[in-house]
Amino acid sequence: MAKQKLSGAEIVVEELKTEGAEVAFGIPGGVLLDLYDVLYKEETIRHILMRHEQCAAHAADGYARVSGKAGVCIATSGPGATNLVTGLANANMDSSPVVALTGQVPTSVIGTNAFQEASTFTITMPITKHNFLVKRTEDLPKIIHNAFYIANTGRKGVVLVDLPNDILAGVAEVDLHPKETFAGYKPNIKPNQVQIKRVVEILANAERPLILAGGGVISADAAAELCHLADFLGAPVVTTLMGKGAIPENHPFCLGMAGMHGQLYANRAINECDALLALGTRFSDRTTGWQLDQFAPDATIIHVDIDTAEINKNIQVDIPIVGDVKLALSGILKLLEKKRAKKSGSEWEKRIKKMHSACDSCVEDISREGASVSDILIKEISKILDDDAIVTTEVGQCQMFAAHYYMTRKPRTFISSGGLGTMGFGFPAAIGAKVAAPDKKVVDIAGDGSFLMTCQDLATCVENDIQVVVCILDNRYLGMVRQWQELFYEKKYAHTGLGITPDFVKLAEAFGCYGERVEKPEDLKDALNNAFESGKPAVLDMIVGKDDKILPMIPPGGGITGMIGTERCKRI
Amino acid sequence: MQTHIISLLVEDNPGVLTRMSGMFTQRGINITSLTVSPCEKERLSRMTVAIEGSESELEMVRKQLSNLIEVIKVVDLKESEAIIRDLCLLKVHAKDPEARSEVMQLAESYGAKILDAALDSVTLELTEEPKKIDRFVDLMRHFGVKQLFRTGVTAIGISAGVEK
Repeated sequence: MAKQKLSGAEIVVEELKTEGAEVAFGIPGGVLLDLYDVLYKEETIRHILMRHEQCAAHAADGYARVSGKAGVCIATSGPGATNLVTGLANANMDSSPVVALTGQVPTSVIGTNAFQEASTFTITMPITKHNFLVKRTEDLPKIIHNAFYIANTGRKGVVLVDLPNDILAGVAEVDLHPKETFAGYKPNIKPNQVQIKRVVEILANAERPLILAGGGVISADAAAELCHLADFLGAPVVTTLMGKGAIPENHPFCLGMAGMHGQLYANRAINECDALLALGTRFSDRTTGWQLDQFAPDATIIHVDIDTAEINKNIQVDIPIVGDVKLALSGILKLLEKKRAKKSGSEWEKRIKKMHSACDSCVEDISREGASVSDILIKEISKILDDDAIVTTEVGQCQMFAAHYYMTRKPRTFISSGGLGTMGFGFPAAIGAKVAAPDKKVVDIAGDGSFLMTCQDLATCVENDIQVVVCILDNRYLGMVRQWQELFYEKKYAHTGLGITPDFVKLAEAFGCYGERVEKPEDLKDALNNAFESGKPAVLDMIVGKDDKILPMIPPGGGITGMIGTERCKRI
Repeated sequence: MQTHIISLLVEDNPGVLTRMSGMFTQRGINITSLTVSPCEKERLSRMTVAIEGSESELEMVRKQLSNLIEVIKVVDLKESEAIIRDLCLLKVHAKDPEARSEVMQLAESYGAKILDAALDSVTLELTEEPKKIDRFVDLMRHFGVKQLFRTGVTAIGISAGVEK
């Protein structure tokens, strides 16, 4: 193609289109006027005006996790960019592909404390996979192309492009759509065949194999391969928080989420297995607990991950495979099927079947004084929503109630802030999710503390007709911290009481949303139906007790077999 | 804890040094010496970083450095497989003729060059392995070191296949 004479802003928009960006979540500003002037005329990119930049980043993140495509967010220089920071750190920590475009003051005044200047490039360096400060308009095609390429390949992550005003306004003769990449970026995709053979040998002979599925299984779109392998091996699957949805949680081999707030028997299985196949997980402390001698002590540990730097970082493994989880799983399956027939009816499988529904069948007696209703509400939401519905969560008790009790049935339908643990994430992520999948029901399971951090974007939902439903577990406390204060700090509730919180029903109505209070769990079904049928974004204020605790849990410093609060758990 | 020398081939862009050193900062690893210079390839620079740390810290940081987009290559140089050099400039007190001649003799025996001699001091240059420089500087401290400058280590692999 012949060279074209274009402005920087035109180049950015042309390249966004080429990379398949259909939506951008952003807020304009002084140094971005040229970019927005081009977006104004552009019909193929839908721009959604957010009410806070943090929400723009979370929405792009939510969009990416649901669609599997890179999400795009835009913010102006200075405060716009610094407001993005939390959202970008969150997305990067959870390996979610996001491309962030930020405005910057003109190159001639960078470093002079110009109006709305912040060094976005240095601020975002440690919280992005890569970032660029563009110095010449003619570099834009290569930079924008590579921003998407880097964000969405290898271990996915955030790429930020800082765009000085004069670079956007400047004109250059360029070749659009370059294919050129960077010499230093070569993601490890193809797994080593020798390692695969070693793994097959171990798995074929294991008596008590177990699969630990992390978020990498979902981002590699390897859910089908995972289920196939579990079936063939007769191996149970436990997941991390990020791995929820990698296998349907009603699958007879699924034991649910493991770890600190995981299910008792998911943790037991880790302790009992003799071969652990860990897929696309970084063995975070929230998954392994802190007494590592209790973590798969008798097992040969196999670790498949696309990032070399994760191997032997938190857990010493016996056999590493670096590469794409989907390719590794297909490779393992292919060899395994040649090697031996499908296994079924083993002692281990029988034990797994007993373990499988232990958590579901443990029901709270609601008539009991002080009974916890949070778990009942989540189980109810789980029953009401269909398999395709998407649930996002805020962070804290609400998140762990959702993680523990919401039955996720498909990949990319459980969206939560795993690594950074960002309160205020769930609602804007739900906005991104709904934009990515407008035909699906999207519900944010929130806490009152978290929701107040980003609720201003109800305005965005109303304005852009984005129908998400926020279900608040309203206990008027920062519940998770309160739970720790109750259990580990002699019930000294230092600054966890929220006092007089707003009337969330009126708050919703003030924004033009539907609002309803749910006083009793049995009223939830009607309330959710009303919310969906209102045709508006909705907020359900579900009243729960301040003493509701998410149990069992591994106490801080404890190990995977040392869960406390198991009194209620079913014994098998 | 031991000294490790990491040799990096990086793109010569603004910010690469911050990006690279940030990897050490995040892990609380102290860089004991650092040299950056152009190399045989255009638009690329070579960085030689010396750190104090355990094997496992080194392994982790090495992999994470390799993940950086602008880092083309990371080599962990073992002392036995590399030629390691440091350049030292120092100004030593030498007021009386006896001290002066002793300083000059010692300098000669270490292979140090005499760059300048004044009435009260001698300025020396020594390019050597860091440990040998350490010993030389220790000796010179007996006379009194007025000023000391060291460039930090740079290193080149000697066995086949270490550096292509």
